[in-house]
Amino acid sequence: MRWLSHAFVGLVVFLVALPFLWMAYAAFIPPQLIFTGDIFSQLAFSLENFRVLGQEGFWDGFWGRLLFSALLTGGVTLLQLFTGFLAAYALKEGAPLLPFFLLLLAIPVELLLVPLYGLLAGLRLLDTLWALVLPFAASPFIVYLLFQGMRTVPEELLEAARLDGAGHRVLLTRILLPLLRPQLIAAGVLAFAAHWNLVLYPRIVAGGKELKTVQTWITDLQRQNPADWGPLSAAALAATLPLVIIYLLYERRIVETFEEGLKG
Amino acid sequence: MGRRSAYWFALPAVGFLGLFLLYPFLDVLRFSTWDWSGLSEPRPIGLENYRDILQDPDFYKSLRITLVFGAMTLAPFILLSILLALALDGQPYERPVKALLFLPGLVTLGGATVAWYTLFSPEYGALASLVPVPRWDQSPFWALVLVTLFTIWRHIGYGVLVVSARLKAIPKTLLEAAAVDGASPAQTFRFITLPLLRPAITYLLVIGTVLSLQSYTAVFLLTRGGPFGGTEVLGYYLYKTGFEVGRLGYAAALTVVILLLTLFFAAAQVRLLREEK
Repeated sequence: MRWLSHAFVGLVVFLVALPFLWMAYAAFIPPQLIFTGDIFSQLAFSLENFRVLGQEGFWDGFWGRLLFSALLTGGVTLLQLFTGFLAAYALKEGAPLLPFFLLLLAIPVELLLVPLYGLLAGLRLLDTLWALVLPFAASPFIVYLLFQGMRTVPEELLEAARLDGAGHRVLLTRILLPLLRPQLIAAGVLAFAAHWNLVLYPRIVAGGKELKTVQTWITDLQRQNPADWGPLSAAALAATLPLVIIYLLYERRIVETFEEGLKG
Repeated sequence: MGRRSAYWFALPAVGFLGLFLLYPFLDVLRFSTWDWSGLSEPRPIGLENYRDILQDPDFYKSLRITLVFGAMTLAPFILLSILLALALDGQPYERPVKALLFLPGLVTLGGATVAWYTLFSPEYGALASLVPVPRWDQSPFWALVLVTLFTIWRHIGYGVLVVSARLKAIPKTLLEAAAVDGASPAQTFRFITLPLLRPAITYLLVIGTVLSLQSYTAVFLLTRGGPFGGTEVLGYYLYKTGFEVGRLGYAAALTVVILLLTLFFAAAQVRLLREEK
């Protein structure tokens, strides 16, 4: 029985990893092999697919879009952590707002395309950078995660600091910030992945060339040249690798965060 | 320093969430009574949009596809989550495998679709040069299978985590006692482990139903609702009518209908599963 279980796990691991392995393999296939269809019969290595990605000029091409998305999503993540950290502190100090945040947690953001579009149109924010930033400036999920973390900080610690004359600023920056580092990292990675992976929303509210995210850029390329896998795979790999690396660095924290969330 | 002054620190989060989450959530009701293309002046038409939905054959078609998609996804997803959690429990490779299973849920969606597409495309996919790949570009059924597999691939890590957390909460003494009393491993599983896993299974079922009623991203990326509208799930129908056809008022009414359906299904499941106990 045991070997059957090992084999089962092995098979699932292989199937789950297959698209990643293929992505990494296809990104380095020389273009001429793709055209002749000899993709598995001979091993060859080429960086040609990555070179092609920069052809449209920097800002309109892949690398510019990757940089734009990284800066945009990075900024939104910091903003979410900032608003979430402050709100979690208010909750920890007894602000009666927990039901409000839990209620918001149940609202399916992905279904709100229409009313968000209407709101942004009313505020004249469509096709501006703000349309990609402001609706994500705060997240109930991040507030909740950080509040969970703050609950584990002993009250005596904060009380002692207060007796020594520490104000909110000192408590937040000198005591809570270093103590919550693990939770902030895990929440940050999750917030980053969530914003980075928006697909339809950016297309609808900010479809212009200057505001195109890397996600939209890849999807457009796939629509235009579905058979041209070399550059497609290179773009997919280059856009995926940063997330994979960040995830692997903090994998333990992230999985634990989810496990703790399940207990609560 | 009064502790109440700390309450003010919640203000930025409350402000942003109030304006960009709670307000749109309520505002969708107002939009749903409009005839509105986004560019034109909105014209209030009362409940006409809802009346139209009830008579819209495309709506019923997507509802049916969504329910089929939900059933096709959830049954294997839950079964696989349980089997994997059991197979992984206590193994030396438990941690790294769980970490790997979690990865597809976080990586760049567009990139992941490219990998799936170039791998499974029946015309010029890499797999097609080794084994025959079903023509999911022509068969609605196989297209739905592809979307289902992609969805399971992305979320299996979370499913395993949920079952596994519950599995670890079962006291080992309970299982040992059963073994001492002469229960076979199959009996132990059937009469002790499985009933105790119930809360985790219920949770996955309810969350999974909610998500599958509302999902559309995978469909947009892989099949765009096709072939022949065979993968047009409700969420995708909502996107299409709102932003491709340009009937935002109608799409707002669809949003409300989807939310009500979600609520109905979640409540019904919780109720049914509770009564069975």
